[in-house]
Amino acid sequence: MVCSSNQNRSMEAHSLLKKQGFDVSSYGTGAHVKLPGPSLREPNVYEFGTPYKHMFDDLRRKDPDLYKRNGILPMLKRNSSVKTAPQRWQDNAADGPFDVVFTFEEKVFDMVVEDLHNRDHVLMKTVLVINLEVKDNHEEAAIGARLALDLCQEIEATESWEDSVDDVVSGFEKQHRRKLLYSISFY
Amino acid sequence: MVGMMTASLINSAKLALDVPSKLEHLRQLKEDLLHEGPVLLSQFLPRILDLHTDRLSPVRKFIAQMIGEIGSKHLDLLPEIIPVLISLLKDGTPAVARQAITCAIDLFRCTLEKVAIQGLYSSELDVSLESSWEWMLKFKDKIYSIAFQPGSDGRRLLALKFVESVILLYTPDPNGSSDPPSNQPSEGKFVEFNISWLRGGHPVLNVGDLSIQASQSLGLLLDQLRFPTVKSISNSMIIVLINSLSVIARKRPSFYGRILPVLLGLDPSSSVIEGVHISGAHHALRNAFLSCLKCTHPGAAPWRDRLVDALNEMKVGGLAEQALREVCKINGSVLEGKDDSSIVKEEKPSVKSCDAVHVTLGRKRSGVHDIGDLVEDDDVSGKRVRTASTVAEEPSKESSRDLTSVQNVSPIGLKSSRGDEDTGPVQQLVAMFGALVAQGEKAVGSLGILISSISTDLLAEVVMANMRHIPPERPKDEGEEESLLNMGSNASTVGSDTQAKRLPPFLARFPQIVALLDAQQSASNDIVKSQGEEEHHVATVADSDLACGDMDCGTEQGMDSAGVPISSNVLPSAIENFSATSYEIHDVGNLESIPGLDSTAHDDRFVETLAASSLASADLEEGSQEQVTSLGRRSQLDLLPSMSTDRSEELSPKSSLTDANSIISSTETSAGLSSQFVLPKLLAPVIDLTDEQKDLIQKLAYARIVDAYKQIAVAGGSHVRFSLLAYLGVQFPLELDPWEDLKQHIMSDYLNHEGHELTLRALYRLYGEAEEERDFFSSTNATSVYDMFLLTVAETLRDSFPASDKSLSRLLAEVPYLPKSVFKLLDCLCSPGNSSKDEKELLSGDRVTQGLSAVWNLILLRPPIRDACLKIALQSAVHHSEEVRMKAIRLVANKLYPLSSVAQQIEDFANEMLLSVINGAHATDRTETEGSSTELQKDSNLEKSSDEHSSGSAIAKEIASDTQQSCTSQTISSSSISEAQRCMSLYFALCTKKHSLFRQIFVIYKSTSKAVKQAVHRHIPILVRTIGSSPELLEIISDPPPGSKNLLTQVLRTLTDGAVPSPELIFTIRKLYDSKVKDIEILIPILSFLPKDEVFLIFPHLVNLPLEKFQAILVHTLQGSSHSGPVLTPAEVLIAIHGIDPDRDGIPLKKVTDACNTCFEQRQIFTQQVLAKVLNQLVEQIPLPLLFMRTVLQAIGAFPALVEFIMEILSRLVSKQIWKYPKLWVGFLKCALLTKPQSFSVLLQLPPAQLENALNRTAALKAPLVAHAIQPNIRSSLPKSVLVVLGITPDSQTSSQTQTTQAQIAPPQTGDTTNLDKEVVTEKAKESSSAS
Repeated sequence: MVCSSNQNRSMEAHSLLKKQGFDVSSYGTGAHVKLPGPSLREPNVYEFGTPYKHMFDDLRRKDPDLYKRNGILPMLKRNSSVKTAPQRWQDNAADGPFDVVFTFEEKVFDMVVEDLHNRDHVLMKTVLVINLEVKDNHEEAAIGARLALDLCQEIEATESWEDSVDDVVSGFEKQHRRKLLYSISFY
Repeated sequence: MVGMMTASLINSAKLALDVPSKLEHLRQLKEDLLHEGPVLLSQFLPRILDLHTDRLSPVRKFIAQMIGEIGSKHLDLLPEIIPVLISLLKDGTPAVARQAITCAIDLFRCTLEKVAIQGLYSSELDVSLESSWEWMLKFKDKIYSIAFQPGSDGRRLLALKFVESVILLYTPDPNGSSDPPSNQPSEGKFVEFNISWLRGGHPVLNVGDLSIQASQSLGLLLDQLRFPTVKSISNSMIIVLINSLSVIARKRPSFYGRILPVLLGLDPSSSVIEGVHISGAHHALRNAFLSCLKCTHPGAAPWRDRLVDALNEMKVGGLAEQALREVCKINGSVLEGKDDSSIVKEEKPSVKSCDAVHVTLGRKRSGVHDIGDLVEDDDVSGKRVRTASTVAEEPSKESSRDLTSVQNVSPIGLKSSRGDEDTGPVQQLVAMFGALVAQGEKAVGSLGILISSISTDLLAEVVMANMRHIPPERPKDEGEEESLLNMGSNASTVGSDTQAKRLPPFLARFPQIVALLDAQQSASNDIVKSQGEEEHHVATVADSDLACGDMDCGTEQGMDSAGVPISSNVLPSAIENFSATSYEIHDVGNLESIPGLDSTAHDDRFVETLAASSLASADLEEGSQEQVTSLGRRSQLDLLPSMSTDRSEELSPKSSLTDANSIISSTETSAGLSSQFVLPKLLAPVIDLTDEQKDLIQKLAYARIVDAYKQIAVAGGSHVRFSLLAYLGVQFPLELDPWEDLKQHIMSDYLNHEGHELTLRALYRLYGEAEEERDFFSSTNATSVYDMFLLTVAETLRDSFPASDKSLSRLLAEVPYLPKSVFKLLDCLCSPGNSSKDEKELLSGDRVTQGLSAVWNLILLRPPIRDACLKIALQSAVHHSEEVRMKAIRLVANKLYPLSSVAQQIEDFANEMLLSVINGAHATDRTETEGSSTELQKDSNLEKSSDEHSSGSAIAKEIASDTQQSCTSQTISSSSISEAQRCMSLYFALCTKKHSLFRQIFVIYKSTSKAVKQAVHRHIPILVRTIGSSPELLEIISDPPPGSKNLLTQVLRTLTDGAVPSPELIFTIRKLYDSKVKDIEILIPILSFLPKDEVFLIFPHLVNLPLEKFQAILVHTLQGSSHSGPVLTPAEVLIAIHGIDPDRDGIPLKKVTDACNTCFEQRQIFTQQVLAKVLNQLVEQIPLPLLFMRTVLQAIGAFPALVEFIMEILSRLVSKQIWKYPKLWVGFLKCALLTKPQSFSVLLQLPPAQLENALNRTAALKAPLVAHAIQPNIRSSLPKSVLVVLGITPDSQTSSQTQTTQAQIAPPQTGDTTNLDKEVVTEKAKESSSAS
């Protein structure tokens, strides 16, 4: 599960899939972890690897009301229960190989595909990269995570996705009326 | 011992039943085996291989993986292993087959590497290795067949990957070393294998053959993507193919020429399988193009234009630009290195030239495969080699001259780009060249013909025109600048000739053309007659080539072994040239950008330099990309123009920069006369600025650009540039707030600066930004800027323009969307005084109209926000200020209500407000305090709270209503009435549009407070007059809700007031009167339109009404309406009144007498004549009306002159035996008394008994009457009996009789008698009369 800050969308999906017993990791592709701040010009910026707990404490200290209201604190709390800290996709190439990579934004998809492209293909193991466009807000993230779970289960159900990815994807698109973008890369 | 254990492991693996335990055993087995020697391995291998038929697929997969690993470590075992793997390829489980292919990729590389390296050192190969290789090749063929034949996608994907790796292995890596690693082959992984390690004479491998094979494989891959085949493969295949090809293209740029045409020609839509997947392939294609674009290899350069085109078509032009820019930067720095080295006498040319040769090699080879006619080309280039080598001399000097020529070209290019844009044939030629070049190698022939057929002058023109399309770039390093300086000084020494100088850039752009062109020239020198300059140029090219150093021996070897006689000189030279050119391009970019910026400041020049300015701003925008690496440079760039403009205004150079500056201005004026000296100096000052300064400079620059638009507005053609300005704003760093400047610009003169257009562009750009960026941060950012921008503009429009101006509503109607703040603004506009009181003066009624018309516009044009706008309008329609309210109501009722889409909402709202009046009535005080606040929420709150009250505390309500009633008109203050009006006006307005709504008012009427009722009554006349007696209204009238009588009456009154009611209306009212409402009042308004007899019929009821009402009716009936004559004459009225029988009609006598009195009060109507007439008629009635005598008495009181007439009446009464009506008899006597002495004669007409009775009753009459009767003339006329009664002739008998009668009659004398009494009296009277 990859989104840009490894906070909302990817973590929502991570959390859900983890509950469903999937072996799942989540990453962000951005340069930093950005969270909305008191005003537009003052976002809260953290490095990848900063524990969610730390952010939680930090923001709670700054303005508990604001961050509670905009759902940041609950989100961070949820995140810290899933894993320690946000991870950057590009910096964690050693993880994996994954079977399927989910991205929630085309920009992220591009970055993942390119990153995979630029790695040395040693294992020659195929990896399916799927982009499911999800808006970066709490409600959409929850919907997106459920869709991702659906899709994962469908892929899981096939004997080898390489043979049937087209069918799975088109079936999903028809069922949920969401556009999917996928690419195949190698480890 | 180890053997034993291994054997047991194999056995247990074989025997284990479930997958995990089997795998566990096998994993252990693998561990053991890999650590053991080859002996043990070869011993157990067959047994392991046996396992590949295991029924469990995970086991088979693991076996495949295991033997793959074993194989890569022990290549000698391959002959045994590979057959197994081959059989596994056909395994039923795709995962197993995939594993087998994965192993194959590894094994193939290992084997090839080993074979190659062993062959380097010995002429013979191991037998085992050789057989391994053979097996490997067989394996390869199998996989190829999988890759290129239809089958399971899972297998094919990996097979394709295998093909890709084979191609890569078989072709030389331009970035790798061509020398085999000095380490021993066992550590082969250390360095990536490169086929160029191979030398001629390898026992098995031949570079040429391998290349051919690779090329064939590539052909097969490409075929998959060509038209008929591409339809039959799945999308995932397409994606993988595209990815593989882009990898190959990137790693082996020599294949660009083959791969890109196919990719570019691949239209993803033609490969639609189910219509849904295009995006995937599309995307892959896009990424492939981008990565190809980023490739820095010179061989990729010719394709850039087409790639950019293709990307632009895919609407990712921005990305392409960015990629291109990155590439250019890299190229720039690389080239700089090259230039340096060439000047410093070529110390390390090996790598470079090697690259170049590889490119040549690749291209030529592919050419051989693809196009036969390239042989000709080869011949030509062969010639070229000779030419080139003959002219070789003094490398360093030549190269510098080459560069110089490039230097000289740049100003020319500049000139052309600045000058007239359409040079007619030249443009066409450029386009033709472009088209030909785009076709790749196929068009080489025709391109050659084209070049040879045009004149050199024209060719030069074409080159110049072409310069314009070279993307702007800028130099990267300071070292470069130094070298430039050197070159600059060199340049001055070298005699320049334009012909030669113009060629290089063109040639550099089209390396292939270079080859052809040169060939052409050298082949037919005398024909073309292009002087020595051509040759000179050729020499330059060749020299620069030679300057790169001697041919690397490795390259030569490679060529030899390939066996293709190629002139490696041609293309490298072109490439070298290219590098020089692209360097020069930088300069052009710079030069162009600077004058451009300058010109934005110099107004007079601006219009001419359209192209330049756009380039300049593009540059600026690049600069604002905030790329750390180019920060310093950008600021420098920005600094220059801004400084220069400042200075040039003063014209007094002071700082160190002024040199450069003055040169710039000279550049402008003298179109590059001295620019070859200028260039280096321009770049010289490098000043590090602080962040603040940079910000300031950026801001200044932006302000300047914005400023320049003022001139544009005058000059026209601004629509082209609007988008640019908006785009700039988006690209600008946020902290600098470029929007502020833009806003000010727009505000300063909205009309003349085409503010509307500009605002829209800016807003759309921002909107796009907000929608596109999906991360929280930037989208919210753009949104807020958008909001602010729109709000400010809207506010300014509101404040600075007259209210009649339509700009605001137009703007709001056309912007992408309306944020909340704008709604608020509109709300304030439409309902002034809500937010801040002091704005009130500012917002006059016209403003309200303006706001309302804007809202109306929005409702019509923007359905999505219709609700919000409607709310604003409705809110305004219940505004406390009547002026505002009426305006809004007019809008809502006349314009909006007819729209079916919003009608219901409007109705609901009006209804709600109407109901709120009822519910809110008892909370009058509250509504008063909150009267000014008309926000919907508050209203609904109010409603709610009042609901609570009504349900929760009935007592409180009662108290409230009590108090309300107790305090009369004072509490129904004007404010509460106006409050009621505020809420109801809208509803009333709607009623005029939809009459059926009217009923609701009737329904609620009963439960409303007095104030509300009053408000309703105020409204009704206007309303009803507008409606008229429509069917709906008639329906309401015919069935009025209970409690609405007053209202109904008013309605009817209004309806009949000043107009003839329709027959339907009259009919309805009568029916209503007859059936439901017995109240006579509803008939009053139509009385004058009723037939006379009906009026008579209902007259008693009219009399029964309260006096004042009766009076009104009286007037009404007597005067009639303006359209109809009087219903009744006064006489008729009086007669009608007298016709009322209190008992029969159930009307108190008092009412009747009151009615009479009323009549008598109006003497000018009920005149003497009228009364006489009435009395005349009445006296004829039988029986006489009860009030007859009363009326007679009143008549005398009112008109004493009637006495004579009355006497006549009295005497008629006497003849009618008035004494038989006791009540009247009393009145008669009264009258007689009143009218004495005239009445004496009448009295004397009475029969003696009645006379006696009369005299007894009214003693006062006796004496005068006797006196009257004594008169002799009268006395004589009187009968004796009368005289007796009078006492003139005494008769005791009669007197006693009379006394008894009198006693008997006496009781009824007192006041009003009952029926019974009357009868008794009548009987007695009869007796007495009969007795007498």
